[in-house]
Amino acid sequence: MRPDEPRGVATWLLEHLVPGPRNDALAGDLLEDFRCGRSKTWYWRQVLVAIVLGVSRESRIHLGLMFFAASWAMLAPAWLRLLANSEQHFNLTERFDRMDWPWSIVSDVGFLLAANVLFIWTGMALYLIPHLWAARNLRVQPLGGGIRASLPVLVALWATLVLLPKYFLGQPVDWPAANPVVTYPVNEPGPIVRTGNSGQAAHRGSISPIKRYMAEHPPPTEAALIRKHEDWVAAQRPTTIVQTSSPSAAITDMRTAAILVRLPFFLIVLSALWGAASRFESRNHRIVD
Amino acid sequence: MTERSYLGEFELMILLAVIQLGEEAYGVPISRELEKHRGRDVSVGSVYAALERLESKGLVSSSLGDPTPERGGKAKRYFRVTKAGLRQVHETRRVLSKLWGELPELKGERI
Repeated sequence: MRPDEPRGVATWLLEHLVPGPRNDALAGDLLEDFRCGRSKTWYWRQVLVAIVLGVSRESRIHLGLMFFAASWAMLAPAWLRLLANSEQHFNLTERFDRMDWPWSIVSDVGFLLAANVLFIWTGMALYLIPHLWAARNLRVQPLGGGIRASLPVLVALWATLVLLPKYFLGQPVDWPAANPVVTYPVNEPGPIVRTGNSGQAAHRGSISPIKRYMAEHPPPTEAALIRKHEDWVAAQRPTTIVQTSSPSAAITDMRTAAILVRLPFFLIVLSALWGAASRFESRNHRIVD
Repeated sequence: MTERSYLGEFELMILLAVIQLGEEAYGVPISRELEKHRGRDVSVGSVYAALERLESKGLVSSSLGDPTPERGGKAKRYFRVTKAGLRQVHETRRVLSKLWGELPELKGERI
């Protein structure tokens, strides 16, 4: 054994990032060659090339799988919108809040987790069942393998992306379609009337026709302006909410927040299906032990 | 094989190396054999990638040896050329020889 043996990061990367059942033999080959006098740089280069080749090969093989995961993740904002609507409809948040601790948190988290697990597993079943059926291998075992593969990633991502900001950083989870962007027309009646660059009320001159006009038409008070503005906002609200709370509108939502919401769903579905496909392939692979 | 597909340059080299090495054909000697004849460094990962392609085409088969301490407890993976692989090598050789044989010698330079 050499004193500068590459036991660290490079070997770990090789064993964990090179997909497929052969990375053990490859790791052994690299170590054998290294012990015959190769440099550490050579070892690192070999590891990186093996990772790039392995990942690109697997990506080509699982192109359909990646496309499906991306398509399913596109539906995630619509699913979350649907959840938010049903939470609102059945007044679930208030019901959970009325429960004693820790049941309030358990129910809240449990509801969201169960709903999202249902969404992810439905997607996986939609992909796996036809494929296993076509391969004449529709059994519970590979299906269960895929579902099990989704759990650790699901819990880790959920904890990082949802629970952490919600309960520990004190920030509400801002689902994309939940906060509609309201655009005001240019001629929106504002609550405060300002003139001039300084924002001060303009000095009204002593010209008599203007004075008379002002006396006949006194300017509305600030309270009246605020009321008018609130009436106007209230008039806008129904149409805005109808547009953005619709789950179908959330499917085509391509704002950054919507894309960020899709990302964990994409990663979970992809890793779970990838894991299931790899297990299925390795079982079918002809390796004579 | 139902369809005829010709071997790529690297795949052909690997098949020839596997044939030449016989019982001792695994990652390290195959890479060294290629390095010796090509005169440049060969990535073991690319050798494995090509061997996997060949195996999926049914041109080579593989078997695992026993784990050894000098390899960090990892087993060697031995490769063998199948009958279909041998046929493919002969076919590629026949086509290449024919093409080389029909190539005219260019004026002023030897090919």
